Amino acid sequence: MSAADAPSETAPVEHAAFDFVRAAGGVEEYRHQNGLTVLLAPEAAVPVVAFQVTYRVGSRNEGAGLTGATHLLEHLMFKGSERFNRDLGTSVFQVLQSLGGQINATTWYDRTNYYALLPSEHLEKAVEIEADRMRGARVRDEDLASERTVVLNELDRGENEPLRKLLHATYATAFHAHPYGHPVIGWRSDVETVTAEGLRHFYDTYYWPQNATATVAGQFDRAEALGLLDRHFGPIPAGPEAAEDAPEPLVHRPFDAAVTREPEQRGERRVVVRQAGELGAVLLAYKAPAGLDEAADALDVLVQVLAAGKSGRLYRALTDAGLATSSSAYYPRLRDPGLFIAYATLAPDVTHDTAEAALKAALHAVADDGITDAELARARRQVVADEAFGRDGPYAVVAQINEAVAVGDWTLFAHFRDRVEAVSAEDVQAAAVDVLDDNRLTAAWYVPDES
Amino acid sequence: MSDVHLAPRVHDAAAGSARLLLLNTGVRDVVSFRGSFESAPDLGAADDVVQSLVSNLLDKGTQRRDRFEIAAALEGRGAQVSFYSDGLRMGFAGRALRDDLGDVIAILAEQLRTPALDADEVQKAVVRAIAGVRRSLESTGSQASGALARRLYGPAHPNYALAPEDELAAVEAVTPEAVRQYHDEHVGSDGLTIAFAGDVDAAAVERAVEASLGDWAPHGRQPVFDAAADPEPPGRTVVEMADRRNLDVRLGHAVDLRRDSDDFLATFAGVFALGGNFSGRLMQTVRDEQGLTYGIGASLGGPSVRHDGHVRVNVTLSQENLDRGLAATRAEVEAFVAEGVGEDALAATRTTLAGQHVVALATTSGAAARLLVNAERGFDVGYLDRYPDLVQSLTTDEVTAAVRRHLRPADLHETVAGTLLDA
Repeated sequence: MSAADAPSETAPVEHAAFDFVRAAGGVEEYRHQNGLTVLLAPEAAVPVVAFQVTYRVGSRNEGAGLTGATHLLEHLMFKGSERFNRDLGTSVFQVLQSLGGQINATTWYDRTNYYALLPSEHLEKAVEIEADRMRGARVRDEDLASERTVVLNELDRGENEPLRKLLHATYATAFHAHPYGHPVIGWRSDVETVTAEGLRHFYDTYYWPQNATATVAGQFDRAEALGLLDRHFGPIPAGPEAAEDAPEPLVHRPFDAAVTREPEQRGERRVVVRQAGELGAVLLAYKAPAGLDEAADALDVLVQVLAAGKSGRLYRALTDAGLATSSSAYYPRLRDPGLFIAYATLAPDVTHDTAEAALKAALHAVADDGITDAELARARRQVVADEAFGRDGPYAVVAQINEAVAVGDWTLFAHFRDRVEAVSAEDVQAAAVDVLDDNRLTAAWYVPDES
Repeated sequence: MSDVHLAPRVHDAAAGSARLLLLNTGVRDVVSFRGSFESAPDLGAADDVVQSLVSNLLDKGTQRRDRFEIAAALEGRGAQVSFYSDGLRMGFAGRALRDDLGDVIAILAEQLRTPALDADEVQKAVVRAIAGVRRSLESTGSQASGALARRLYGPAHPNYALAPEDELAAVEAVTPEAVRQYHDEHVGSDGLTIAFAGDVDAAAVERAVEASLGDWAPHGRQPVFDAAADPEPPGRTVVEMADRRNLDVRLGHAVDLRRDSDDFLATFAGVFALGGNFSGRLMQTVRDEQGLTYGIGASLGGPSVRHDGHVRVNVTLSQENLDRGLAATRAEVEAFVAEGVGEDALAATRTTLAGQHVVALATTSGAAARLLVNAERGFDVGYLDRYPDLVQSLTTDEVTAAVRRHLRPADLHETVAGTLLDA
């Protein structure tokens, strides 16, 4: 039995409205009668608590004309409800920030999350607010009017950044059919034209308890937390099918329905982004398996071998060799097949060809020759340390759980260390051989226009 | 009454010439640390350029082990150590698992006391620094902030920022000999303070620091810098940049205010009410009501117990909204000063600041950072416990008076960076 599955020192909480599902790694899962998933991660180190609601909706759920809708809706979720709004002096920010809370929300490919980090005695207010806006957000035309220009400015800020532009172009080139191809913030014309009605339909399709996971981490009482969650989320119907007066949802399919599947890539793709600037960059993106695929753990170890500090192969081959000012690799675990990415920001006077060749050589060396026992041991040790520091403060806990929920299995947070320790050097090489195939590569160059 | 009770839990010890602040937080297995020492640069001679290079080279090997051996020793333990240059001080930050902390402290000491500073590595660091300056030329935020700093301060002030072309020339002129000389003359145990937070075994940490840094000698130098700001007359600087639809704007002026001034907290709270977070006046009006920006805020810049700072408003504006956004921002700042801070706004600010203080202490790295900064300012550890009560005791009269004393809308300089639309 792994440490992650060792019996909890305390028995699960009994509550009439919740079923206990399972426990792992110090986290307990409960399911409310209305389908809301609840994760409790108590840690008594400091009197601070993090509360988060993750909705299983992201940019992957968007079609043409609605790109950026998830993100824009996230913005409008702060524009108020009948009970919590600026006019009453009770907006989400006014209430929670005045309690010392740090609050925010983020949108990504597979999920949208809303979180608050605040002194433990104020947990109920955070719960109350999230429950209220799960079905009570106003999403009004006048709110969209002011918030649209805010998001357009956010979009412009991102366009100012060369590496972000390069990443957008990479995903757009790598994915011809799957919604991962469009940026999470959306294409400009869609942001300019989306209607509040369209956003309300989006809201009415996805913002329901059965599509949400509520996570509580930090110093709190588990029984009290379940009581709060039942009190505030309990009255909400599970989904549109269960609601008497719910508006017609946008799409008539289950929450976990698949989106357009990306066809197999059978040839290298290339894209160049030009913009006024100083120094270039090269990014290599290979088609990679979904985050819960059995090869995903080996790819995480591959990232450590390539990019964890000065011991990483990319540092030696590029940064230390003077070809790049920085280099790295990462593999974002996504719900559907995504990308394995390696990149380098060029040093002055280094050509894109040279940097690309060096990047490819470093990657293919793993596929051709494998990794050493020392590299495997270091990668495991780094994961152990990362896991320990990943529990340093309740925000770190909910942030990691958030990504595990988005991929489709929150226990990835609890079992990650065990899974990595089970990876062999042969597994890493096999994953490199499979993924680092130039027929499934999108190579992207950022070329600064110095004129 | 404040709920923060750090002082009774912080073990304040000496290990040789090092002051140690040791806090066991109850978290398991992990320790974060942060430390700094007086480096005493001559800012009039642009020592900050070579100082920055020295800090970047401390993790590039020692006289005993090359950079890869050092990296393997740290990364094989899942530990991290990084170095930074911060004006009049240099510092380091890191993390380690509890059982590895003694070894990591020994490695840290080796890096500080006997760095290799090879000529090849110096050259690489120079190239990276040049690249860093060139990349800053792509950043509207960096260009706008730098332009404001040059309007408000002279070259010998810690808050000054060299113009990119001057910084490039200064970096290119650095030699390996200059780097070694700077290390010899400016890196020592002067004012060395290290904060440890997490699963801390105080006795073990004291022994480890004593063993490897206890006999580290001070350099004995004094810094050379200007403590007072030297502003130009209020005016505007535009940094034209191609392909940058979003413009970064800075409004600011120097303030005769130190971190230990009697009215610092009142001024800080007032500026926070103006633009410290989403509930602040600027976000509520310029962003939330008028939709003119994704990001706007106000803060005190570069506050220190040793030199002047400035008040600053940052705002990003899409190019078509530049004039409207600037006008709206200035109007809100003027109205804020004229009207003063209301009771509701101050009440929210008080509880926000007090709560933020507690939340910032919720991670080992946050706790270590707060302990260190507090010590660098010369404040006792108990100040961190008293801070929430000090904030809660602020009144609208004193905050409004402080705001009117230190925030002068007519004196605001303006810097803009990005692609401006043709008039």
